[in-house]
Amino acid sequence: MSDPGLALAGVSAAYRGATVLHEVDLTVARGELLVVLGPSGAGKSTVLRVVAGLEPVTAGRVRIAGRDVTAERPGRRNVSMVFQSYALFPHLSVAENIAFGLEVRDTPRAAARERARAAAETVGCAGLLDRRPAQLSGGERQRVALARALVREPDVFLLDEPLSNLDQALRVQMRAELRALHDRLGATMVHVTHDQTEALVLADRIAVLRDGRIEQVGTPDEIWRTPATTFVARFVGSPAMNLLPADGPLRPDGAVVPGANQDGTQIGFRPEAVALDAAEGAAATVERVEVVGEDAYAYLALDGGHRIVARVPAARRPGRGAAVRVGVRWADAHVFHAGSGRRYVP
Amino acid sequence: MTGTDRRSRRQLALMLTPYLVGLVGLVLLPAAVTLVLAFTEYDLLRPPRWVGLGNFAALLDDPVFRVSLTNSLVFALVAVPLRMLFALGLALLLHRRAVGVGSARTAAVLPTAVPEIAYGLLWLWLLNPLYGPVNQLLRTGGENGLTALGRTPPQWLTDPTDARAAIIMMSLFTIGETFVVLLAARRALPRDVYEMAAIEDATGWDVFRRVTLPLMAPALGLLAVRDAIQSLHFSFVPAFVVTDGGPPPYATTYLSLFVYRTGFEYLRYGYAAAATLVMILLTVAAVLVQWRLIRRYRAFYRL
Amino acid sequence: MRPTTRPKALLALLLTAVLAAAGCGSGAGSSADGPVRLLVFGAPEELAAYRTLVEAYGKAHPGADVQLVEASDRKDLLARLATSVAGGAPPDLFLMNYRFYGQFAAKDVIEPLDDRLAASAAVDPADYYPVAWDAFRWQGRQLCLPQNVSSLAVYYNRTLFARYGVPEPRAGWSWNDLVATATAMTRDTRGVVVRATESEGAALRPAVHGLGVEPSIIRLAPFVWSGGGEIVDDPARPTRLTLDGPAAREALKNLVDLRLAYGVVPTDEEVEAEDDESRFANGRLAMLMGSRRSTTTFRSITGFEWDVAPLPVYQAQVGVLHSDAYCMTRGARHKDAAWRFLEFAIAEEGQRIVAATGRTVPSHVGVSRSPAFLGPAQPPRSAKVFLDAIPTVRALPTVSTWPEIEDVTYGILENAVHRGDRLDDVIRDLDRQTRPIFARGEHG
Repeated sequence: MSDPGLALAGVSAAYRGATVLHEVDLTVARGELLVVLGPSGAGKSTVLRVVAGLEPVTAGRVRIAGRDVTAERPGRRNVSMVFQSYALFPHLSVAENIAFGLEVRDTPRAAARERARAAAETVGCAGLLDRRPAQLSGGERQRVALARALVREPDVFLLDEPLSNLDQALRVQMRAELRALHDRLGATMVHVTHDQTEALVLADRIAVLRDGRIEQVGTPDEIWRTPATTFVARFVGSPAMNLLPADGPLRPDGAVVPGANQDGTQIGFRPEAVALDAAEGAAATVERVEVVGEDAYAYLALDGGHRIVARVPAARRPGRGAAVRVGVRWADAHVFHAGSGRRYVP
Repeated sequence: MTGTDRRSRRQLALMLTPYLVGLVGLVLLPAAVTLVLAFTEYDLLRPPRWVGLGNFAALLDDPVFRVSLTNSLVFALVAVPLRMLFALGLALLLHRRAVGVGSARTAAVLPTAVPEIAYGLLWLWLLNPLYGPVNQLLRTGGENGLTALGRTPPQWLTDPTDARAAIIMMSLFTIGETFVVLLAARRALPRDVYEMAAIEDATGWDVFRRVTLPLMAPALGLLAVRDAIQSLHFSFVPAFVVTDGGPPPYATTYLSLFVYRTGFEYLRYGYAAAATLVMILLTVAAVLVQWRLIRRYRAFYRL
Repeated sequence: MRPTTRPKALLALLLTAVLAAAGCGSGAGSSADGPVRLLVFGAPEELAAYRTLVEAYGKAHPGADVQLVEASDRKDLLARLATSVAGGAPPDLFLMNYRFYGQFAAKDVIEPLDDRLAASAAVDPADYYPVAWDAFRWQGRQLCLPQNVSSLAVYYNRTLFARYGVPEPRAGWSWNDLVATATAMTRDTRGVVVRATESEGAALRPAVHGLGVEPSIIRLAPFVWSGGGEIVDDPARPTRLTLDGPAAREALKNLVDLRLAYGVVPTDEEVEAEDDESRFANGRLAMLMGSRRSTTTFRSITGFEWDVAPLPVYQAQVGVLHSDAYCMTRGARHKDAAWRFLEFAIAEEGQRIVAATGRTVPSHVGVSRSPAFLGPAQPPRSAKVFLDAIPTVRALPTVSTWPEIEDVTYGILENAVHRGDRLDDVIRDLDRQTRPIFARGEHG
């Protein structure tokens, strides 16, 4: 069990001549659920497609369960994939869809159907076996696609934004079911999403991808608490983390925030760390207020044209145009090199 | 009825008018006239004379008509599946982007764009038994005018079976429209379904049998219906230009040529109309049968 | 319901407009002016001859307008004529062989010309060969006026005969002479006499074949007659072919033997590859049995010298009539103008012009004996062969379904010659398959 479930070493990939992955190193332990998170066009799906063998690599190696599969065709990699569109065969029944992979691999028909039924029960769609995809709802299709992926017991599950076509409520529900399914199966999974909440909720570890490069890999906690770059810091969390130059209107004490006093650094702090009633605070004007249930987000203009967001209890929100005094809980602040965007390490 | 309703209906009627006028004036009226003439004796020169079912009784006894009918049916039964197969093969071969695919697609469509008579004349040269490129090619490696296997090359224009094969061969290259439709149908199929199949390690044959064929079946079915109807027509020019209905007596005399000859060469227009009516009825029957098959297919897959 | 009625009214209006336009299209020639349209078909050289004639007419009669409508072949001409008559816009004149005019004569499509002839100063029937003139009489009325009269002749390649030292055909030669000559002229590439019969396989292909002859009833007929037989039971009102008579049977067997026993005529494959006329023009056919029509084409031959000989004889010298005539349609829109052109074409000057192109053996006796036809400037040198045959020619029966009979018999005869069907079967098939067609026929 020493081999990881999946390992990418220095993998680069190109699409129509443009490099879309740059020397990606990524290891997924057996039984781990890794979420690849990033904005559109970051190369998330390409990571999955490279693992599945649907795209060739231009450099690097792909290993699955200790086996170098870089030169293997997709069918020989023992992975299964859930596509964003689910890719169900419209002319086949649910049972036939689930059993497809077994049948083309010459599993006897009866055995294939039995395993398909078992897989359908696992994901809770056993009642749909005789239907056609056209007769299913979005959530039902999602379950069928999942059942099809797990019927074969692959080494790695690849899930390409499987929840993005569902409405919000269903997405939350399926998210929980997916996590439960993973825990029950103990399977190695790579899940791609652009939704940071989904990533934080689902993942054992998250890999944040930007322009074909890995920005940071870590547990949701690490990603949240110690973002490695300004990109990660701002991409994870909503509203995004505030970023101000260290010599801006809000200056922390160098003793409290190491590195904050050096030239060329930026200070980051989340809206939760901002208070509007600090006696000694910098003066600011409330430009806009958004109320989300119990919380309210106040968008503030500071001197010198800097803008930040503060989270306040909705009940005590300021009015638009109100003058406030801004204070920051500096213990929760982050320092980044302004040029590289990398986290300052004392 | 609301104002917009009224306006859109009026627009609809206006836009349909040119088509309807064409349909009525150029198709329905002549068809109706043919229907009536089928029960008359008419030589184009003197007024038609009512003969009731006389023409049909005569058709039953006419050995030339029977041969033409058989020829047409055999042609449709052989040529239509072959054409579909050929077009499907080309579409599956050429649906990807690759070097030379564009030119290959053009080449596949081109013969359909050649005027029919010119296409016929071209084949007349290609199939020339002594000097034609086809038999020259078949004779390479052989001696004394025989093929490399020591056989006589096909006598395209003088042997009945070879001539029928030649007409079918000619029809195989005019599949441009079918090819284009199938190409579009294939390209419209979702890519991820094929990637799915690749991940499941489905073989090329499995993919074709379990994915491509069922997904393209509705298009294939419709095209087969169309081709079966068309086969009565596209056998005409080759038989007219290349084989002249021969080799003797009537090896490649198809219904369409029979109708043309009796109507325009022998001036038995009423008799030709009766044969045309039989041809139309055959077409309708073929369409009905195929339609039922397609419906059964769709019901089976609940598409 | 007003909103629905208006489009309907509009539709009706449009429909009428379209139909009216279509009607106008077909009736465009109905105005008194416009050209006289003459429908013809033929090889490019023949069409050139008619163009020469039309041009000459235009020069002689300034202001007269004759338009040549060229069909691609005989069948196309028949189809065009029938459809244009049915459509109410026939050509004013058409040129047609007597073998095919019967169906139009029977259906009363052709304008009788007796009255115009009687009043004409330019055309006197006495100046013409009666055999041609009579071929276009239908139920006692003169329907069409013939431009030419000829029989079959044997075209031969003099240069080849000289090279192989074979005596040229002479008047009065027999069928056996024909076979012997053809056999002597069938040679391979080294110039050695070969016998190209099926038994020797596909390997043997003569470089030169002795003879080319179509396996058709019109080629067969003169030999049946020459042997004293008949091809139909009653030439005036035929009801069946009579090729089962001894003379007909012998003539048919001899025709078939040319291919099957002697191998002197090209195989069907060779004919498909290159038709007899091209084969002769390319110098690879020693003799070709053909009508005067081929002359215009052969005049462009430069590689060798050629001439014509009369048909070989069984017992009596008999030819088969070939004659084309100008016919005026009953529905013609410019009958007077068409008649003036017809007079010109048939009278001495017109005949002289077309004769000079080589196309015709003039039906006008005077012109046929003049240098315009007999002059030695252009081949064939022995043009007189055509004139000598005229007194011996017989006409084929004119029955309205004759085109169908020719087509049906051609298929059977072709298989007889090239596939070697049993002679009894051939004769029985010929009879059985043509009887219903004769029965449908109408007679002049």
